[in-house]
This record gives sequence, structure tokens and C-alpha cells, in this order.
Amino acid sequence: MKQKVRVALSQISCRRGDKKANIQKIEEYAVKAKQQSAELVIFPELSLTGYILRDDLYKLAEKIPGPSTNAIEEVARKHGIHIVFGMPELSEKTQATIYNTAVLVGPKGIIGKYRKMHLPTHSVFEEKRYFRQGYQAGVFETDLGKIGLIICYDIFFPEVSRLTRLEGSQLIVCISASPTIRRAFFENLTVARAIENTVFLAYVNLVGVEDGLQFWGGSRLIAPNGRVIVSAKYDEEDLVIGEIDYTEIRQIETFVPTLRDLRAEIFDKLREKAENL
Amino acid sequence: MKLTRKALDLNWEEVKTKIVRFIKDYVEKAGAKGIVIGLSGGVDSSTAAALSAMAVGGNKVLGLILPEKETYNIGDMRHAEMVAKKFEIKKETVNITPVLEALHKTIPVFDPEDKLCNGNLKARTRMLYLYYYANKFNLIVCGSSDKSETMIGYFTKWGDIAADIAPLMDLYKTQVRELARYIGIPNEIVDKPPTPMLWPGQTAEEEIGIKYEILDLILYGLEHFMSNEEIAEQLGLEKELVEKVEKRWKMMEHKRRMPLTTKIQYRTVGFDFRLPYTQL
Repeated sequence: MKQKVRVALSQISCRRGDKKANIQKIEEYAVKAKQQSAELVIFPELSLTGYILRDDLYKLAEKIPGPSTNAIEEVARKHGIHIVFGMPELSEKTQATIYNTAVLVGPKGIIGKYRKMHLPTHSVFEEKRYFRQGYQAGVFETDLGKIGLIICYDIFFPEVSRLTRLEGSQLIVCISASPTIRRAFFENLTVARAIENTVFLAYVNLVGVEDGLQFWGGSRLIAPNGRVIVSAKYDEEDLVIGEIDYTEIRQIETFVPTLRDLRAEIFDKLREKAENL
Repeated sequence: MKLTRKALDLNWEEVKTKIVRFIKDYVEKAGAKGIVIGLSGGVDSSTAAALSAMAVGGNKVLGLILPEKETYNIGDMRHAEMVAKKFEIKKETVNITPVLEALHKTIPVFDPEDKLCNGNLKARTRMLYLYYYANKFNLIVCGSSDKSETMIGYFTKWGDIAADIAPLMDLYKTQVRELARYIGIPNEIVDKPPTPMLWPGQTAEEEIGIKYEILDLILYGLEHFMSNEEIAEQLGLEKELVEKVEKRWKMMEHKRRMPLTTKIQYRTVGFDFRLPYTQL
């Protein structure tokens, strides 16, 4: 397995409902990332379609594999790069059950997908109205190491990142569509999730304005000690590339050994208390 | 949560940037050639016009000054022109008095004593002019409504509230004043008593019966799910006053929404047609 990986954070704005235009933009940014020797390029939550879609989700959602994942697979194959992007996924078994999904594609095809576990339905968010929640962590063995996927609001729930880490991921990719007033939360939580799990964390957020909601960008790549390796601009499209070195995890695991000190018996209590909140 | 003026303090540079980005993005995505806005000489329309100019350039913003004889005020006219000049906004002045007089003559039940009906007629007439220019020149109508007035329904339904975008609608009046100062609206405009100019001598605070400094804190408390008791206690007010504001806020929801219908079919406007506001 590779020890060092160059990761591109590709914070784009999307044309809502225009999958063709968004796939084209994903390819443009994948090419730019590859030109700068990136091996993995990450796009925001629902980057295939844009975020505020409401009832349009029913016509935009696609099965995986499907025409859009086929197109992204082709991009990954053609340019020899791994890609993470977000899309509304139509369940294989029903006709209108949709997941908010992150997809990991490599040069040899689809590697895996993760269905968002925590769907915000408060304030400006209405995800539970449209999406079914996922039940599985998304951790995948790749040529670039073991990569875990989480999505946006999941980061407020340390259990998801913890599970992803305990299933072996060394790099957690968090794709996001976070509006500006929540910036401080994410800037803190991304660092916290990296430190408490001694893991690399790549956070990629949407930019642009959708129905008056402004997305703040500010994507960042964070080392297991909380150091921000590289960060993207606020509020505008940007592509930044940082290198991660998995050997760094060993140093921080000996310095702040959070995984060694994990207390399994607490999780039973957590479950018991959470069921009776 | 402490209800003090500090609670309403924002990073004005960030607020300005957000609003400017919002306006620019909307106009571009709509494929419009610019913006038309009613200029009254008051703080709200001056601020909205200045931000519009920052977003798309003053040469793409048309300020319509729409006086009528009953409420004609030379000071307000001068202020409207001052803002147009300072932010290099195009302006056009149209006296709407003849139209109002024609309406008065042709409305069979016209009552010259009914200040409210006749005042609303003025606001709705101004709306007609704004939308005529918008249609004719492919412009976006920019509204000037602030959050205080919108929450308590202190506006004319289909009148001054009618617009394509309302960039100040998430800022309370006292916040608009701060933003106005920050972006360089002259103090004489910021500091004068607000008026909807529906009848002579009308001032908003007198009519609402409460200063904006207090009203905004009450509304801020309501926005943040505080109880009426807690708001009254913190602000040293009678609970009845807070209840009055809350009641007014809730009763006026009909002015902020599309007309209500009753559900008959599969998907219904206003109930469960949930489409994106814009398609881009």
C-alpha cells in the first residue's frame, strides 16, 4: 500500500439539476488535479446535481451503477485518478426511495458507496423528507489506502467517524454542502474528528448560492494531530492539493493514543441512554 | 440568551459581501439586464439600492423616484437623489399623483377619509411602475423590506413588499441602519424617522407604538424561541406588549405567503409542490 498520497480538494459550485454540466466540471477539475499529480480528487455533497433540489430529486436520482456513475467511471479510467463525489441514489429495490450517497470511483471502476446516516431536517434542511438514511459505515480498501466516507451532518455525530476509523480507514473523506452560518461548527468539528480518531480527514464543501443559501467552501485537509495541511478559499471555487503520509499516524498514536484508550463498555451505556433520551 | 443591542451586532463587512454576492448571483442566473428599485430617500431603499449598485454596477441599477402630492417631501427627494448620485445609479422621477387621482375618480366606493385604503393604493401604484420598467427592460425588481417590518406585517400586501428579491429581509431595521452607515449611506438618511409615506406625517414608530430599538429585540427574542415572559423580563417591558408583537407577527403570515387554497388533488401549490426557487 502507498504511504504517501496526494489528495485534491475540489470545491465547486454546481448547476442545479444539470448532471451533464456537472459531470463536465468534475472532469475539468479531475484533469487539473491530475496535472498536479493528485491521486484522489474529492467533490462536494450532491455535486452531481447541486444541493437544493426538493421535488426535483425524484427525477434526478439514479441507481448505482447507472448512467452518471458510468460517466464518472470513464473520467476516472481516462485520467487514472480516484474520485469521490456525491449524488442522489435511487434504491435498487424501489421506485422512489432515495439516498444521499457518496461514491468512490477508481481507475478500475466503482470501489464503493456510502449512504448518509444523519439527515438534517431542521433550520433550512429538509433531507428526511426526501432521503432514506443509510445504516452502514463506508470503508473501502483501495490502492491509496483504506478510505472511509462520511457526509456533512454526519460529522456532528462522533460515532460515525469512530466506526469508520474502527473499520480501518486511515483517511476519512467528508463531503459537504454547508451554508455560511455553520462555518465555525465545521472548522472545529473537522479538526476534532481527525484528532480523536488519529486519522487524516479531507473535508470538501460546496460553494455558490442556491435559493439564497450561500455555501462557504473552506475545504481542508487535516492531519491526525489536527494540523491543517492545506485549505481552500472561502466562498469561491477552488482546487487545492495536499499530501498525506500515513506513517504520521504512528507518531500521533503514540503521542495521543485515543484508540488504545478506547473504552468499549461505554458504547453499551451510550446505546442504552440514547434509546431513552 | 441576553437581549441587548450587542445581540444584533453583526460583522458588517461579511453581511455586505453576502448580500452583494446574493444580488449578483440572482441577476446573473435570471439572465436579467439589471435592477429596478423604488427610491424613497429612506434608509431601507437607499441601502438596498447601494448594495445593488455594488453587485451589478450603478449603471445597471435604475432608481425610480415615485412621489405623489400628499406626502411630497423635498428632503426625501433630495435624499433619494443624493443616494443615486453617490452610488452612480441611474434615476428617473415620475409623479404618480395623476394616476392616483384617476383611481380615486374611478373607484365607485372611493373614500377620501380612509387613510389606510388610500395609502395602500399608493404603495400598489408604485409597484405597477416598478414592474412596468422590469418587464420593459428585463430588470429584476429589488425590494427594500427589512425583517422588522416584514415580521410584524408593517407593509402593503402586493405593494412595497412586491419584488423579485428582498436582500435586506433578514436584517432588522436597527441592523439595516448599522449596515447603511457601514456602506456609506449619509447619516441624515440613516437617522431620520422611518415612514412608509402612505399619508402625511406618518411615522412608523408612532404608528407601531414602539421604538425600533425595542421592537427589534422583542422580535429577535421571538426568532430565537424565547418565551414572552422571558423577553418582557429581560427588556423591562409589560408582558402584554410582547404578546401584542407576537400576535401581530403571527397574524400577518398571510401577507408573507402565496394565497391559501384548499387541498383537492395530488400535489398542491403552497402545500406540497416543493420546487427549488430558481432552477440554476
